[in-house]
Amino acid sequence: MSQVAFITGTRKGIGRAIAEHLLSQGWIVGGCSRRSTDLVHENYHHFEIDVADEAAVIETIKTIKKLHGPIRALINNAGVASMNHILLTPVESYEKIFKTNVLGTFLVLRETAKQMSRNGGGRIINFSSIASPLNLEGEALYAASKSAVESLTKTAAKELASMDITVNAIGPTPVETDLIKLVPKEKIDALLEQQPIKRLGTQEDILNCVDFLLKPESDFITGQILYLGGVN
Amino acid sequence: MPLERNTVLELVQTILRELGEDLEIKELSATDEQTRLFGSRSALDSMGLVNLITDIEEQLSDEHDIHITLASQSAMSRTHSPFRKVGSCVNYIMELIEAADAQNPS
Repeated sequence: MSQVAFITGTRKGIGRAIAEHLLSQGWIVGGCSRRSTDLVHENYHHFEIDVADEAAVIETIKTIKKLHGPIRALINNAGVASMNHILLTPVESYEKIFKTNVLGTFLVLRETAKQMSRNGGGRIINFSSIASPLNLEGEALYAASKSAVESLTKTAAKELASMDITVNAIGPTPVETDLIKLVPKEKIDALLEQQPIKRLGTQEDILNCVDFLLKPESDFITGQILYLGGVN
Repeated sequence: MPLERNTVLELVQTILRELGEDLEIKELSATDEQTRLFGSRSALDSMGLVNLITDIEEQLSDEHDIHITLASQSAMSRTHSPFRKVGSCVNYIMELIEAADAQNPS
């Protein structure tokens, strides 16, 4: 029988790539974004929700189980970024970034883990970023939100281990997605200089990490942040 | 039809019995309103209580289409935890169901 995955932020970018990748492997995929999607597949079910809306998250996680069975894998990918000097950063940026990146990750994790705990466990993959360990200039709030996600990942890994739920995070380098398309080239080049492997990431780099963390043999790996590009 | 208090009590007792079997705690095989769920004289440890709460939420949702979240800020900050005894836990669940009904009258 097909396994069920839930992926947040599937309308485009990395979330979309992960959804298509898992669908090609025979998973049933529930996905969400704030807007509609043109991703059409017989095993894909899209929910138009905001991951920071508690009631909507609860309803979505329950609906997926009703329609397709318990969720075995959660990919907590939805995220927003905003680049600005800290002195020029409006308070609205804080609300927007922390609501989606931290509150959203927490709510989806909590509701999915409740379901997993009753149904034999599962795998949770959160998304951090190399912005956190590199303390990237211009990304104070984004990096801070990803540091919060890392802390949440490590603590949740401890609390959920006895329920056969692993919780890890992937920390990608910049990938060519909408999230970085407005970043000036010289900023990206300066960032790449800080990476031991000096290139942009690709979607395949991230899919490889997802495959690794979802492998049955990875059941002894939890609470880890898997950075790409040699960053640590 | 609104859920009767007795139905909720039976649901909680059934979950406790199943948890007792899973966790090998024989005190949970027969519980009553006075059975302690929380604190030093409880048969459940903190993880057992977490399992109880998530099981109650799930069964109310799956079997009765009632969607409530038991672990709220107000529950956690009360002087006397609603989870201290089976009876107080059932009272608290009834409160939440009534509040949800008042918010979304069918």
